[in-house]
Amino acid sequence: MTTTADRTTKTNRKYRVIGTRPIRHDGHDKVTGRAKYGADIQLAGLLFGAVLRSPHPHARIRSIDTSKAAALPGVKAVMTGKDLPEKATPPGNFMETLADPQVLTENVMARGKVLYKGHAVAAVAAVDRHVAEEALELIEVDYEVLPHVLDVREAMKPGAPILHEDLRTRTTAQMPGDTPDTDGPTNIASHVQFVQGDVAQGFKEADAIVERTFETKPVHQGYIELHNSTASWSTDGNLTIWKSTQGPFIVRHQVACILNLPPSQIKVVPMEIGGGFGGKINTYTDAVAAVLSKKTGHPVQVVMSRKDVFEGTGPTSATHMRAKIGATKDGRITAVEVNLTYAAGGFPGSPVGSGAGTCLAPYKVENLKIDGYDVVVNEPKSAAYRAPGSPQAAFAVEPVIDELADKLGMDPMEFRLKNATRTGDRQASGVPFPSIGCVEVEEAMINHPHYKAPLEGPNRGRGVALGYWGNAGMNSSATINVTPNGSITLVTGSVDIGGSRPALAMQAAEVLGLAAEDVHPSVGDTDSVGYTGVTGGSRTTFATGIAVIKAAEDVRDQMIKRAALVWETQPEDVEFKDGVFTSKKNPEDTLTFQKLASRLMGTGGPVTASASADPKQVGPSFSGMIVDVEVDPETGKVDILRATLFQDVGTAVHPSYVEGQMQGGAVQGIGWALNEEYFYGDNGVMANSSFLDYRMPTSLDLPMVEPVVIEVPNPGHPFGLRGVGESSIVSPMAAIANAISHAIGQRLTTLPMSPTVVREALVNGDK
Amino acid sequence: MTPFRFAAVSTVSEASEMLRADAAGSRLIAGGTDLLSEIKEGIVQPQTVVSLQNVGGMREIVAGTDGMRLGAMATLTELEGHAEIRRSYAALAEAAASVATPQIRNVGTLGGNLCQRPRCWYYRSAAFDCRKKGGSICFAINGNSKYHAILGGGDCVIVHPSDLAVALVSLRARATIAGPGGERSMALEEFFAGPQVDIMRETVLQPGDVLTHVSLPAPSPNWRSVFMKSRERQAQDFALVSVAAAMEVADGAVRDARITLGGVAPVPYRVRQAEEALQGAAVASVDPARLGEMAVAGARPLRDNHYKAPLASNLVRRAVTLLLQDGA
Repeated sequence: MTTTADRTTKTNRKYRVIGTRPIRHDGHDKVTGRAKYGADIQLAGLLFGAVLRSPHPHARIRSIDTSKAAALPGVKAVMTGKDLPEKATPPGNFMETLADPQVLTENVMARGKVLYKGHAVAAVAAVDRHVAEEALELIEVDYEVLPHVLDVREAMKPGAPILHEDLRTRTTAQMPGDTPDTDGPTNIASHVQFVQGDVAQGFKEADAIVERTFETKPVHQGYIELHNSTASWSTDGNLTIWKSTQGPFIVRHQVACILNLPPSQIKVVPMEIGGGFGGKINTYTDAVAAVLSKKTGHPVQVVMSRKDVFEGTGPTSATHMRAKIGATKDGRITAVEVNLTYAAGGFPGSPVGSGAGTCLAPYKVENLKIDGYDVVVNEPKSAAYRAPGSPQAAFAVEPVIDELADKLGMDPMEFRLKNATRTGDRQASGVPFPSIGCVEVEEAMINHPHYKAPLEGPNRGRGVALGYWGNAGMNSSATINVTPNGSITLVTGSVDIGGSRPALAMQAAEVLGLAAEDVHPSVGDTDSVGYTGVTGGSRTTFATGIAVIKAAEDVRDQMIKRAALVWETQPEDVEFKDGVFTSKKNPEDTLTFQKLASRLMGTGGPVTASASADPKQVGPSFSGMIVDVEVDPETGKVDILRATLFQDVGTAVHPSYVEGQMQGGAVQGIGWALNEEYFYGDNGVMANSSFLDYRMPTSLDLPMVEPVVIEVPNPGHPFGLRGVGESSIVSPMAAIANAISHAIGQRLTTLPMSPTVVREALVNGDK
Repeated sequence: MTPFRFAAVSTVSEASEMLRADAAGSRLIAGGTDLLSEIKEGIVQPQTVVSLQNVGGMREIVAGTDGMRLGAMATLTELEGHAEIRRSYAALAEAAASVATPQIRNVGTLGGNLCQRPRCWYYRSAAFDCRKKGGSICFAINGNSKYHAILGGGDCVIVHPSDLAVALVSLRARATIAGPGGERSMALEEFFAGPQVDIMRETVLQPGDVLTHVSLPAPSPNWRSVFMKSRERQAQDFALVSVAAAMEVADGAVRDARITLGGVAPVPYRVRQAEEALQGAAVASVDPARLGEMAVAGARPLRDNHYKAPLASNLVRRAVTLLLQDGA
């Protein structure tokens, strides 16, 4: 077997550091348990907060009586939604978040109404966790229980319980403040639509048409570390928050909105993070800890339980979807119609827009119509989850593509390649694709030994599917300081979830002719580094990388000037290569970076450089999976025999972490495909809010996922990077569904494809 | 989590006395893996937790000429690794090894496993006031019944969660209970009681009763057993359906057979019809598929668990087939 290491080494011979696999800088502390996470914060006088959550999925709060709780010995403060400013006010906006600040504040603590079971209604701070929890039981909330609705289709029907009386449907063309589509109350928060060509005509030209309906359940990001916030409000009015977050600047902005504070008075210190996957972007308990801290004059720590995490923080959307695709006999797609309905949870904001925008990315389609509906239901407000919205939509489109290929008697990859999208082709939104590697991914799949390997035996099947994620750019900042021995410190605003510290350090090292180990990377708090967007959207190594490269180039240029000063020549006469400065006039004059670093004092003082990045050409990432399954026809259990994940990563900076991202996404996709779902009781209560009952797969349930790294460089990054974190989760559900259908001759259209579902399909046939 | 008093007693009678004196407010704790999660969820709020950790002899596993005696405090890891159990009572070793995770097996005990409360998520959530907690509704009957009973449910459709129970019932184990009135012993299957007997409990234990040990009969030379467990996740998961079969095959005929199913009923479920059909049957004449069908005769699946009937039936077929092959 060819390893990715071989390929990468070969591909990236032009780089010294990029493409190598140094040990991660934060590795020792993590392996030995010394790394500090949010819940490890210990402060003098620390109090512990606990949050009371609604037992009802939908109810009006008539009154809250906190007097008994406040009187419990050991309780230091109690708060409700009334302790937050009524109106959340954005202090300007760096595009930190697209979330409506008012929604954020009402999600942080309910006022008037609770919209899902688990919605926060009150909180206490006490001397320890147990007293705090005991106090919660003494808070008396008088609820007027309202009818609730969980299913998106039910929520769209006339007469459904209305979550927000003032909600009106928005369409994509509208900006906040425009007249909405509907004049009456609705649960449909928005309708996005993409139309190109003539769909009716396209279907007329088709020789074969396949149409199916799909359904998926809410699934949680499943990060191991629980949400936490530790807030300390000093007497001079400054607030410090230590926490687990993907975006300290987003937290700063959101807390500033909720508490009506200037951002400069809030310092957010991101601790090490035990997983996020999109679920640790929005604020939950930060303002609660802050208010309790202000009330008590003590620092306050709030740590969620797993149940709180499942019931009070975002899963990704449940969906109801329909896809219809037509093609000619020779395998040309003539028309596609997709209808996506995503559950937003208690407040608007499902990722249906990105589902609609990405679901047809791998195909060049002239005639298409995609409708997406964002529908509020009485479930936790959905949150981003790895390639938000895209995996569900791919689960609707890719199986229909597969079935259509079957119907046309074509090989499913050949069919895909025939319709593959290329650089410059229009996306569903109408915007042309920048440089992409869709064809390269598909060719790699077709040429891989896995695709050609025989798969024999009954009840076995092979499936393929493609995935796509557009990746994000946004903004980042970085600061580099040169130390006297020539090593450098690198501070960025990007929380390190997937190995970004080494990946960023390597980019600085590449520019400065250093080793990765000569760079000490760290994650700054919001006071110590420039504004940096969230670690999400697969943007960090790419976009923060650009800021790092710019700062490193600035350092290099400053160092060249210092060398020129030493040699009494002009900067143009100094050459810098592989970490060595050489005088062009007198080639015997050489200084290593380290030597020169020791001479900074006396040649102009310390060298420090900060830069920010505003990348314009983000590199989207295509991916695909080939998977072999065996279905036990008696039990309905699906075993994965072999799985190969292909992905265009642009340039693999640290191939091990690239492969890790690919495997990690694939593994979460496998869990989503076969195991995971929220079970709701008729009373709107999640029945399986523990890791025991919410069945995420363990290592024993998972196959080795072979990652195949494909490198089509992105012209928008000096080293050709594309984001790699998300695309890998998009294809597995569809690939596994396709594999199962080839194994048992029945199409599965719901997730998860648990033994129950597979067994039912075997007994009852195609649904 | 409400505070409680932790009483580490040194004798069984002391434990028995404390449990009897405050039947409503006291709970027995062994490994604690089950009880603590109930306390944290607020399902039980004991004032006193009585620990058997310091009671001498309760952890012993003794093999003798008349069989084995397994102390109720023996851990699952100890059962799983015991040479004589692996040799002569394979189903038990396999069942023990299939429970939860190594961490839980290191502290979880035989007694605790047999006396654990059901994993029904309606029972486990304080948000559902179900019959087993004194309420008037079984939420699973019209709710998410994916993991619930297809046999013998009635007013409460839990399935018994113990893997060991399934193996031990097929292995003809007996349970010994020390109570206020002294010691008594019974076939293990009689130790369990369905909702028809008492909807609030799964065993016949009365206030003050302590399960002290389980005994196994001496194995005959031709005796073989097997435990199979189908589950959604290969670690840290309960059985969708499990089966334990024990059989004595000699001279081409089945001398004796026991088949017990887990995950299908509120108690370990003996498949008597199939056992009787096997009794004395010539190996060549046995139709394992037919036995599998018998196993689920009378099953009444709920909305989400129809899959359990064929699953149980197939597991029985596989277990019987395997034992007959081994015996031949």
